[in-house]
Amino acid sequence: MLKMNHLSKVYRTHMIETHALRDFSIHVREGEFVAVTGPSGSGKTTFLNIAGLLEEFSGGEFFIDGVSVSGLGDDARSRLRNEKIGFIFQGFNLIPDLNLFDNVDVPLRYRGFSAADRKRRIEENLARVGLASRMKHFPSELSGGQQQRVAIARALAGSPRLLLADEPTGNLDSLMARGVMELLEEINRQGTTIIMVTHDPELAARAQRNVHVIDGQVTDFDEEPRLRVPENGRDTVATTA
Amino acid sequence: MEFRPILSALMRSKVALVLIGLQIALTLAIVSNALFIINQRIENMGRASGMNEADTFMISSLGFGAGYDVKNAYAEDLATLRGMPGVANAAPILTVPMSQSGWSEGISLTTTQQNSDVGVAMYFIDEQGLDTYGLKLVGGRNFTADEITHRDVRSTSWPNIVMITKALGERLWPGQNAVGKQFYLDQEKPPLTVIGVVDRLIMPWPNISNRSGDKNAYEFSMMVPQMVPFGLQTRYLVRAEPGRVTELVKAVEAKLAQTNTSRIVREARTLTEIRAECYRSDRAMLIILIAVIVALLSITALGIVGMASFWVTQRTKQIGTRRALGATRGNILRYFLTENFVITTIGLALGAVLTYGVNLWLMQAYSAQRLPVLYLVGGMIALWLLGQLAVFGPATRASRVPPAVATRSV
Amino acid sequence: MFSYYLQLGFHSLKRNPVLTLLMVLGIAIGIGASMTSLTVFHVMGSDPIPWKSDKLHYVQMDSWDPNRAYDDDDQSMPPDQVTYRDAVALIEAGKADRQAVMYKVAWPVQPENRDIKPFQSLGRATSGDFFALFDTPFEYGNGWDRAQDKEHARVVVLARETNEKLFGGQNSVGKRVRLNDVEYSVVGVLKEWKPKIKYYDLTNGSFSDPEEFFVPFNTAIELKTPAAGNNNCWKNSAEGWEGYLESECIWLQMWVELENATRTAEYHSFLDNYVAEQKKLGRFPRPVNNRLPDVNQWMKDNRVVSRDVEIQLGLSFAFLVVCLVNTIGLLLAKFMRKTGEIGLRRALGASKPQLFMQHIVESGVIGISGGLIGLLLTWLGLMAVRGLYDYFDSVARLDWPMVLATIGLSIVASILAGLYPTWRACQIAPAAQLKTQ
Repeated sequence: MLKMNHLSKVYRTHMIETHALRDFSIHVREGEFVAVTGPSGSGKTTFLNIAGLLEEFSGGEFFIDGVSVSGLGDDARSRLRNEKIGFIFQGFNLIPDLNLFDNVDVPLRYRGFSAADRKRRIEENLARVGLASRMKHFPSELSGGQQQRVAIARALAGSPRLLLADEPTGNLDSLMARGVMELLEEINRQGTTIIMVTHDPELAARAQRNVHVIDGQVTDFDEEPRLRVPENGRDTVATTA
Repeated sequence: MEFRPILSALMRSKVALVLIGLQIALTLAIVSNALFIINQRIENMGRASGMNEADTFMISSLGFGAGYDVKNAYAEDLATLRGMPGVANAAPILTVPMSQSGWSEGISLTTTQQNSDVGVAMYFIDEQGLDTYGLKLVGGRNFTADEITHRDVRSTSWPNIVMITKALGERLWPGQNAVGKQFYLDQEKPPLTVIGVVDRLIMPWPNISNRSGDKNAYEFSMMVPQMVPFGLQTRYLVRAEPGRVTELVKAVEAKLAQTNTSRIVREARTLTEIRAECYRSDRAMLIILIAVIVALLSITALGIVGMASFWVTQRTKQIGTRRALGATRGNILRYFLTENFVITTIGLALGAVLTYGVNLWLMQAYSAQRLPVLYLVGGMIALWLLGQLAVFGPATRASRVPPAVATRSV
Repeated sequence: MFSYYLQLGFHSLKRNPVLTLLMVLGIAIGIGASMTSLTVFHVMGSDPIPWKSDKLHYVQMDSWDPNRAYDDDDQSMPPDQVTYRDAVALIEAGKADRQAVMYKVAWPVQPENRDIKPFQSLGRATSGDFFALFDTPFEYGNGWDRAQDKEHARVVVLARETNEKLFGGQNSVGKRVRLNDVEYSVVGVLKEWKPKIKYYDLTNGSFSDPEEFFVPFNTAIELKTPAAGNNNCWKNSAEGWEGYLESECIWLQMWVELENATRTAEYHSFLDNYVAEQKKLGRFPRPVNNRLPDVNQWMKDNRVVSRDVEIQLGLSFAFLVVCLVNTIGLLLAKFMRKTGEIGLRRALGASKPQLFMQHIVESGVIGISGGLIGLLLTWLGLMAVRGLYDYFDSVARLDWPMVLATIGLSIVASILAGLYPTWRACQIAPAAQLKTQ
């Protein structure tokens, strides 16, 4: 589903080069629920941005669903993002001027679905997160947990194969956090691949597999059932040396 | 495009909508009315006088002293002028079109008609007048030399023949040939007979307000075969050979001053100068209005740029989120263009009402005419384009917001 | 505290130079446009003789055509001049405190000095009361008296410039001047006297220069001097100069000075009686319609402030409104961009009124900057107006009240524009902002 080989990301500002990621390799298979952990500044968010095609990378290879991402133009990346990836942010990132229905509608608009199709998907997904009755409400009228549910509904509305979550419970109290986690697990059970960035070990423990990032490198990972994946006639090892 | 979500988003920030909308509405109201006034002034200024303006100038001589003989002055001066090299022709006159001063009379068609409602400008000329003014005779004949008489300013009698303009003939005898027709200037005196009709000769005061409802009223002029001194003042129109008018003004001034020393030669003015003087305030209004329109459109455009930039800055995160959710740069660009189109359209709707409000005020306070809808449509199209142009910069900037903004924690 | 706010205001101006420039220029252009037209409007419409304008009355009587009102646009308006017959009758009756009849004449001036060429000169034939009526300042000598009026004296009052031209500015009282081949003796020389509006003869150009000389009315009549100004007839007159004097042609202006409202009412009824008498003689065929407008009313009636100037004024203030709306938007943008700072200040203990003051002062700073540039633009604008209209030379000029008004207007305007954005800025909650910063 998602494969990164020896990926690096360098930020250059004036005279200083910062290596946000160096020789970063990871392989996430279809249907997995992977938690990416690590301390602040370790490169978790950079990894997520690159994984979600929000940022370019400096070197290495990156495939999504077998498609090489390097060399894709901005529009092609936007389309890929729109079709295959759903996002859940720590700060929810709901558009305050739009009501729930219109918020969930945003990615569907860019996808170009028909009006009826969009309506069906919005209603279905808002129902799935338990907010079907509040479609006409605005984000400011909801609790944090509810807002994050809307964000999840928005992420799922386009039926993405991969869901990227950035500290999805970071702004929530534990009760709400638990609810959101249960929802994510439910979604994963139904077949959506999830990569979740978090610094909360308790949360990470609930994922099928943990990847630990320090200083832009994967330093530790759970045992992987099938280490070698025969693909493109080449063996890829998602480990560090 | 996605009108409804944009509209509902706008309704959440009503103040911004009101501010830009109001600005656009006021701009439309001012611009369309100003354009209308400008066009009317241009139309006014563009009206042909019917005479040769390029090569003519007028000049006056004011005699003094008991021994000064005006009749003599006419004869001598005309002989001098007509004999000068470069002079195509010269004639004694009282006034010229657009000079703002002259003589007017009311015309009656019968001896019993009480209300002479046709005001006519009087041009006093000799047999060379037609040629010197450069008028086009379209019917009848010109005066002959033996028909020209001298007139005292205080005289109350009139010669029995005149020439008139086609517009005046049409007003007095619609659809008929005016040549041979008669009318009265003084109902107690014999009538005057029209012997010739010229195509066009406008009044000395072409900006006269048009009360009679006849849009050609400023063309109601009549030519009388007389020389009229004003006290000891005589006035001449000189037509130069093409291109020589400037040199001739000086030469004629010097020559007239030299031929007779007991007079003051003055008011040498070319018709070009007289026209400029006549339409000076129209021209001033025109320039002021154009300056206001330009300044107004610039301010409005800058205002849109400023507000749009602000919105882009404020919504950076939102734009990033949209990008993260799969919006292309084109989608973002179009979002802002569409948003501007929606705001502009709302402003223009209000502006249309305001435009006719201003027009109504101008109609009541200044007897202006009703604004043709064309000006409103023109103003609307201009403002739509202006809005799209102004918002293009900020919208482009918005489209460059990187999607990674979405994950940066606040 | 105020100086701290001022300092903050200037600092804030420097922080977003482009936005600041947009706002300041917006205000400046709006102020420049509106003050340019307001100055023209203000000077044109201002009272030219404020200390006695309410005592000076123009005399109007409806001696016009029974079939047609004099003014098609305003049928209730009597003619703007009077006939010779009526003027003479009113002067002879002498019912007002002061009275002057007048008309414009054009005569050649023939200097004794042969080096100066004869030149055409515009003068005014009027009554001796003219000078006291309009408070004309004298450099040398005086005007002439009513006796000299009666005896058609050959006397003249010269304007300062004419005296400069003919006598090099010397005291010329008693010297002789030759006008149109007739000798006059100088009795007075005026000081510089140039009313911005030539209010005493609005019929012949509101902005023309004042006359170069003044001679007794009866003298000009005796010399059969035709009016160089407007002349209107509705009826044909008899032959010759005598016939003209007896005619219904109007070509004279008539002013009277009346001390108070009672005297004005008395004079009005005197006029009504006069017209009633004349009706018996078969004159004045229209309904009795006498008017005695004072200086300001007469200026209004004659539209000294032209329609174009009024439209320009309306337009420029609408323009100012657009500029203000624009500024409100930009200020809002500016203040909203500072939400973090405002939240922080609130957290550090600034009260709402304090924040309100700070931002109002900041708006005022923009106003002052815009006002100063606007003043420069007004000055340029007036220069342009003088170039566009040649006869606006005297009216399109800045005076101190207008300079102060310009700065004042821009400060008031910008503070008005700042009110809403400031109010919005003060609504920012301290905690909410800090959390997200």
